Amino acid sequence: MSEIADITCREDFTFWYAMATRWNDNDQLGHVNNVVYYSYFEACVVNFVQTECDNDWMKSPCLPYAAETSCRFLRPVAFPSHLDVGLTITHIGRSSVKYSLALFAQGDEEPSATSEWVHVWVDRNDERPVPIPETAMNAYTRHKK
Amino acid sequence: MSTEQSLARADYPHIATIPTRWADNDIYGHVNNVTYYAYFDTVVNNYLIEHGGLDIVNAPVIGVAVETMCRFSESVAYPETIELGLGVAKLGKTSVRYELAVFRLGGEEAVASGHFVHVFVDRTSNKPVPIPAPIRTALERLMENEQ
Repeated sequence: MSEIADITCREDFTFWYAMATRWNDNDQLGHVNNVVYYSYFEACVVNFVQTECDNDWMKSPCLPYAAETSCRFLRPVAFPSHLDVGLTITHIGRSSVKYSLALFAQGDEEPSATSEWVHVWVDRNDERPVPIPETAMNAYTRHKK
Repeated sequence: MSTEQSLARADYPHIATIPTRWADNDIYGHVNNVTYYAYFDTVVNNYLIEHGGLDIVNAPVIGVAVETMCRFSESVAYPETIELGLGVAKLGKTSVRYELAVFRLGGEEAVASGHFVHVFVDRTSNKPVPIPAPIRTALERLMENEQ
């Protein structure tokens, strides 16, 4: 996993999504369960695709599918923390794009976790890869690291 | 992030069956990508409980996830029952790297694969400690490839 570019400074992220943890995010060990971090990152990525890429999940002819995700857990967070999730784009291909993300407890300068997501854009009907739509490509270019 | 990993069922010493649930599917009609990690988490902990004697309520030493990864090749969807393959790629003094793969029921080639790194820590101090002996023995069994 040494290939993961560890982007850890708040200044390196160009898109932000703020969210609140919930009671049931904590597991039996008293902090947010590792699985739930991915739902935080997903909320940020999906919000980016909807607002910056102007994607309509129910109607767009092509959609982004998750092809690969990863997370490094650096320190625990727990309910009732409020979180800032930062996103930037680190690679743009023909059909695929790589997002780098980090999750910060509000007020913290050091991230609690870093993550990478790869989306592949596919045709809604046949699920085969298609070129990234123009509006999305423009958004990715604007947010490219 | 692109460490090559086996997709062949025979390379996973432990296979667990998981029934998917209605709410595992997302708006695409597939099991949501995040949910795969819940399957991973469950299969790993079940193995530690059943084969390593882990007491999740009282054990003084617990496993903490420090890194996870998954690559998704084909989708699965409720109401499928799926199978998870579990193996151990690396066993250190205080940490273990599990390899995991998702199979359709009876499938020979994985539709998703990934890894999960646990560090064992003292429940009170949160400091890494050697993997307890019964758990280590169980994990060593997962390093034995069937082939």
